[in-house]
Amino acid sequence: MRSAIRAQLTTPRFLLFVIIVVLVAVIVALKPSFLNGAFVLAPLITSIAIFTVVGLAQMVVLSIGHMNIAVGNMAAFGAMISGISFDLFGLPLVAGIAAGLVGGGLIGALTGWIIARTGVNSFIVTLAMSFALLGLVPTVYSALSTGSAFVVKPAGFDALGRDSFADVCQFGYCGPAAIPVMVVPVIVVMVLVAVLYTKTRVGRELLLTGSSVKAAEFSGIPTSRRIVLAHTLSGVLAALAGILLATSIGSFTPSIGDEFMLQSFVGPILGGTLLAGGYVSVTGTLLGITLTLVIRKGLELFGVGIETLNVLLGVILLIALSADRVREIRLRKGRTPDASAPPPSDPARSADRSTEEVPA
Amino acid sequence: MKRSIASVLRSQSTTLVAIIVVGTVLLGIASSGNFFSPIPFRTFFQFLAVPILIGLAQMITVAVGQLNLAVGAIGGVAAALSAVMMADAGVPVWLGAVVPLVVGTLAGLVNGWLVVLTRINGFIVTLATMTILLGAQYALVSTRTVSAANWAPLADIGKATVFGLPVIFLVSVVVAILVALAFRYTVTGRSLLASGDNPEAARLAGISNDRSVIVAHAASGLLCGVAALVSIASLPGINQSVGGDWLLPSFAAPIIGGVALTGGSVAVLGTVLAATVVRLVDTARAEFQLAPAWVNFVIGAVVLGTVALGRVRQVRQERRLGAERAREASSTAILEKTR
Amino acid sequence: MNPEPPTGTPRATATLEALHITKTFPGVKALDDVSIRLAPGSVHALLGENGAGKSTLIKALTGVHQPDSGSIVVGGAERRLSDPSAARDAGIGVVHQERNVIRGFTVGENIVMGRMPRRAGRIDWAGVTREARRCLELLDLELDPSTPIVDLSSAQMQLVEIARALYTETTVLLLDEPTASISAAESDRLFRVVDRLRDEGTAILFVSHKLEEVYAHCDTVTVLRDGHSVLESEPLSAHSHDEIVDTMVGRALGSLTVPDRRARPVAAPALSLVDVTTTAGHHGVGLEVRPGEILGLYGLVGAGRTELAHAIVGLERITAGELRVNGEPVRIRSLREALHRYRVGYVTENRKEEGVFLEQSITRNIAVTVWSKLQRGPGFISAKKERDLVAGYVSDLDIRISSQSQLTGRLSGGNQQKVSLAKWLAAEPEILIIDEPTVGIDLRTKRSFYELIWKLADEGMAILLISSDLAEMITLADRIAVMDRFVINGELENSHDYDSMSRDVIHLIHSGAEVAR
Repeated sequence: MRSAIRAQLTTPRFLLFVIIVVLVAVIVALKPSFLNGAFVLAPLITSIAIFTVVGLAQMVVLSIGHMNIAVGNMAAFGAMISGISFDLFGLPLVAGIAAGLVGGGLIGALTGWIIARTGVNSFIVTLAMSFALLGLVPTVYSALSTGSAFVVKPAGFDALGRDSFADVCQFGYCGPAAIPVMVVPVIVVMVLVAVLYTKTRVGRELLLTGSSVKAAEFSGIPTSRRIVLAHTLSGVLAALAGILLATSIGSFTPSIGDEFMLQSFVGPILGGTLLAGGYVSVTGTLLGITLTLVIRKGLELFGVGIETLNVLLGVILLIALSADRVREIRLRKGRTPDASAPPPSDPARSADRSTEEVPA
Repeated sequence: MKRSIASVLRSQSTTLVAIIVVGTVLLGIASSGNFFSPIPFRTFFQFLAVPILIGLAQMITVAVGQLNLAVGAIGGVAAALSAVMMADAGVPVWLGAVVPLVVGTLAGLVNGWLVVLTRINGFIVTLATMTILLGAQYALVSTRTVSAANWAPLADIGKATVFGLPVIFLVSVVVAILVALAFRYTVTGRSLLASGDNPEAARLAGISNDRSVIVAHAASGLLCGVAALVSIASLPGINQSVGGDWLLPSFAAPIIGGVALTGGSVAVLGTVLAATVVRLVDTARAEFQLAPAWVNFVIGAVVLGTVALGRVRQVRQERRLGAERAREASSTAILEKTR
Repeated sequence: MNPEPPTGTPRATATLEALHITKTFPGVKALDDVSIRLAPGSVHALLGENGAGKSTLIKALTGVHQPDSGSIVVGGAERRLSDPSAARDAGIGVVHQERNVIRGFTVGENIVMGRMPRRAGRIDWAGVTREARRCLELLDLELDPSTPIVDLSSAQMQLVEIARALYTETTVLLLDEPTASISAAESDRLFRVVDRLRDEGTAILFVSHKLEEVYAHCDTVTVLRDGHSVLESEPLSAHSHDEIVDTMVGRALGSLTVPDRRARPVAAPALSLVDVTTTAGHHGVGLEVRPGEILGLYGLVGAGRTELAHAIVGLERITAGELRVNGEPVRIRSLREALHRYRVGYVTENRKEEGVFLEQSITRNIAVTVWSKLQRGPGFISAKKERDLVAGYVSDLDIRISSQSQLTGRLSGGNQQKVSLAKWLAAEPEILIIDEPTVGIDLRTKRSFYELIWKLADEGMAILLISSDLAEMITLADRIAVMDRFVINGELENSHDYDSMSRDVIHLIHSGAEVAR
């Protein structure tokens, strides 16, 4: 039991948590305005919610050892479908969102199908897919909307994107203004993804496919179908993130998802998800995203330019991975006679491999 | 190197040349000859220089089995630093022209060094350095545009033409030729290919794979620096958007040009031709007044088609070879038994 | 760097002596105080079973691995071989077991790679062609240096690698299983080259599993067993065929009590192959395995045994003939179908890549085939049922683990193999194909494996055992089918008498050649 606790305390997740707490404490001490519910915390938590979904969209493909370069474009595509549903067909909120998720899922499924069918590296296929969507989405917007945006809002649209619990009142009591309503669907999604990976057969098969496609094939796992599934899920989650972003900014535009790609990798990787596949962490992804966004908010409060954030993000990413690497080398020393590993060549397969944590 | 006519006809370059010829003719007809008049003609090649250079920059990292997500960020920082130095610090123009090359090479060296030292996959390393460099670029120029008036002599070179062809295009062609020669005639070039093709065999032959990775990233960075220099010379000004749209085309050119993503091969001519095709698509798009987004769509579709087709062809060939070998093996066995 | 390659005859000669070489990998002593002496103008055979340490010795002699202790002396001077090119400088050329060629290069460039002829700082391509041609001519090979290497057969690539070894001044040539996967005609050609190099004074080390060719071409012999040298640089003529085999195999398994399995019940075949032809190249293969029976499929490396197993479980296509499971003709399209529909399990020979997930827990590894049976509601897995199931196999198979959540990669090879086997047993197959189960596994674990296999057979499982370890085959199998070059040469009832059985099996392997005479 004690060793289990100690194991928990040495995970990257715990480290992240400590860093976040310290960081928040420092920021609050220096800038008490950080705790302003409606104007600082609520927008911060909204973006954490949205980007966590983005991180999960990347995490599900990382789980099979793939990557999705088109995550932002898939978000744009899904949001576009929702926008069209509201704007041109006047669908209600839930139906429109569902349409967008299906759209994202279909694009993801197509991507996964191409990868599974041709065996071409996921990096290239999703890169090409991002090209294609980068072309398609603005074209559709300019063809179907005036001013390149879908602005029709069905009932509940603003509530989802902009309300906080201060707007949810029961028996005369209202919730805190710091917590946006959006966290509810995002928490539901996080729980669903976590349950998928820890409790279900399909989730485990995804992880095993990521661990070793060959061994998975030899264990009777339908690896092609799992590849398609992972990319489909990635498309659905990306679309959800795009739609949530649209509700928070108030309209659907082609630029939705522009900032997703980098964040989508940073979150899961900081949180301990392996690039090489086989291990994921939903809470880690949340914490990784939270850390980067808290830093961003803090810098904004101090009036430091956004460019510093970028530099910091890159440095954090490198340090986190190098630290991981050092730890792994220490662990591996004296375990395998693999003195002659060639330099990593295949982007999707030869990544850092932390062997510390075992998924729950 | 002897090659049969049939294999030349089947090569990627031949297809690309055919596409370029047909595309040029169609464009000429569609623009009722206007495409061939001096100004559109010059513009076409003027904006071909950067795609060629960044395509080659990416090709070199792909040749050793790496990739470089930071092409645009390296170019952007190199251009921004040089522009700011010339405009604000009064650095002479000749020195300002050297800066991007030095910055590019250094950034590439750091990339390669990080990959080798940490053994982290090149994708993540260059993703991280890309982020850092983007921040640096923004810090350098923030929201302003540094006007080309600060480096008038360079800007003149950017506009200059020789026999109707822009000088900067010729620069990119010269770079392409140098890259081709380096891969053909230098031991380092061949070592890069060997490391990308089969690291284990390369190691056994006494080639240092680590060195190959560092050299490839440094060379890639240098070419990004050249692309930055070309941008400085040809753009009306330098701002934070320079390099922002380089990443996707940098992959498109080598992939369409026939470079194997698994490493070990280069196709300089193919990369140059593929960049030309992409440029043609862009020109056609402008001619027919379609949204710029269409170009991306077409390129995405072409890249997907290229890799998928290439893969299908490879699988088919492997299957055929395997079947042949098996037939051979069993027939010799039977032969020996019944002889 | 030596840009000027040596030109020609008479070639220098040197003796290579490796003295008291010890090399330890974590958990394994791969070489323990091994010495070997290679004399100019002679061919030295290095023999031993899989995992005996042959390849490690070669890698220690060529700078790929650095020995923990011991010295290497070439031509009287002690050498420290810190990397492959240091070995090359010392005049040691090597052709490894795997093909090490750059597939994108031509034959010529593959030969001179690493030391390209240069003129005025740039590669002298005419020189490349010239030098490559010179090396090819040394071997009497009529190959155009400008041919892309991918157009060559594996045997031709091997000869090109010998040519590469001769490009630099090579006084010692090490050949690691050069004849393992090439045809008889190709072997003949290789031996002409070997004989010729020997006559010119090269010291040659030759690794092979084929004793006939060893006797035909080698002068001296060293035999390794479990990292020790049991015969050290002795004249081959002093030892009979049987003696050599005995020293290779050892009788360490002698203490094992082989159960009397003659009384096994006779049932209808669970698995039968009738005149099967496959995409892998098998031709007219016929086999039958009955419930409770262990059928051994013996053959040399490259004989097509693993490929046959792949064809049975749907990884290769059967193009003609019939595969029957319990008498019914079936068409198995995937491993999944083999397992879940026809109850055919396949324990792969490639444990690390195909058998287990090294980076996953033991629980995950064992339960993967049976998750559908451990469900608690649609798609959800009951962690308790999973733990109990895994605990059962861990104790049944005596798998040594610290906890179920331990990563499989942290286990020893033998325990990993047990995990790989447990995974299939969990799926409760009726027919089990076991491919090279004991390669690289210590003797004690080997023995427990044998007992386990007998137990499974006693419980009624039909077992097809693939092994290239003849002693293992003769210990375990009830009948032995002998495969050579994708054809079954014949089948023997196993008498468990090693001497007569090994003679008969070897005889069967070569029966093709004998029919020819």
